[in-house]
Amino acid sequence: MSSFFEEYEGYPNYEKMAVHDEAHGKVVRKKLWMVFWIMLIVTLFELFIGFKYSETLGEINKEYLFIFLTVAKAFFIVFVFMHLGDEKKALKYVIIAPYTLFIFYLAFMAITEGTYTSTIRDILNVTMHQ
Amino acid sequence: MSNQATAVPLRKDWEGGVSPFGVSYGKLFMWFFLVSDALTFSSLLCAYGFMRHKYTGQWAHPNEVFHHFPFLEGKNLPLAYVGFMTFDLIMSSVTMVLAVEAGHRKNRRQVMMWLFFTIIGGLIFVGSQCWEWYHFITGPEVGVDGYQGVFRDYIMNGRHIINPHFTGANLVVNSYTMLPTFGDFFFCITGFHGFHVFSGVIINIIILAMVANGIMDKRGHYEMVEKAGLYWHFVDLVWVFVFTFFYLL
Repeated sequence: MSSFFEEYEGYPNYEKMAVHDEAHGKVVRKKLWMVFWIMLIVTLFELFIGFKYSETLGEINKEYLFIFLTVAKAFFIVFVFMHLGDEKKALKYVIIAPYTLFIFYLAFMAITEGTYTSTIRDILNVTMHQ
Repeated sequence: MSNQATAVPLRKDWEGGVSPFGVSYGKLFMWFFLVSDALTFSSLLCAYGFMRHKYTGQWAHPNEVFHHFPFLEGKNLPLAYVGFMTFDLIMSSVTMVLAVEAGHRKNRRQVMMWLFFTIIGGLIFVGSQCWEWYHFITGPEVGVDGYQGVFRDYIMNGRHIINPHFTGANLVVNSYTMLPTFGDFFFCITGFHGFHVFSGVIINIIILAMVANGIMDKRGHYEMVEKAGLYWHFVDLVWVFVFTFFYLL
């Protein structure tokens, strides 16, 4: 498709603009490896909590901790590995905002309705799995 | 044609003639595709959350279901293999981003090397998932009475027999919990994700062949590697959520 746009005079060739030299590459790689170590430590920490402190920590606290750590990992993947952090503000908002809005709504609905259904089933004393 | 952009004064973002997002057509639409795919996975995980809250207390404990490790059969190692799979996928994500970085320096040999490692990591993950499915379907090595029954019910001599020794899981019933939903969601979510990993490996192999044939050098940029990388990181991103919501919680 790029050749199609190249027919317009002055249309920037974005594909060819994403280059850097050896010195800058070193800086980028250092950052990437640092993010890798952070993600590895977070994953090991999650597993450790999962095995060891699943009873003492309490079910709700554990859930919130895991969700927080997962979102932190997702942030690192999207903003560093997928380079969204280096993109323009417009692109960041176009990707993140509609998705976040929708997903908060969907998760809220799913959890609320699920808990409500569970309560109703307890009240009606439903024993069948339906 | 290469550096014409610098010769012309830059126009404002939304006045036309430039991409308001500062990215190429291909990359922008890769992002849009990933957002829509992320919504699909989110819907699956939200449906899973709904069912799990609906059947509070009846759901299977992942610690008791996924405790096998290859070559260490019979030992109780809860979630250790899933932890390994997560590590493998994060590792392959790092090699992929290093391939993208090498592409920015137009270093063909390094791009090929890192892409190769990424493909190996992806294949290890797909293989691990096959192994895990196998153990999930066949269940524990032996049931309570030293007998393993893979089929829940079958026809023998014209009679319908329900197997009392059934261990394992299928789409209708599983021995981990009373709820068939548990097995259904396991097959659906990890299967859908595994399919994404598989297609990601295929895409990476195609890109590696293109790089090896010097197509990227002819084009003068390695953006194709970057786009394949976006897809691969997305697969890793989904696994991070599946790992948390399916295995840890």
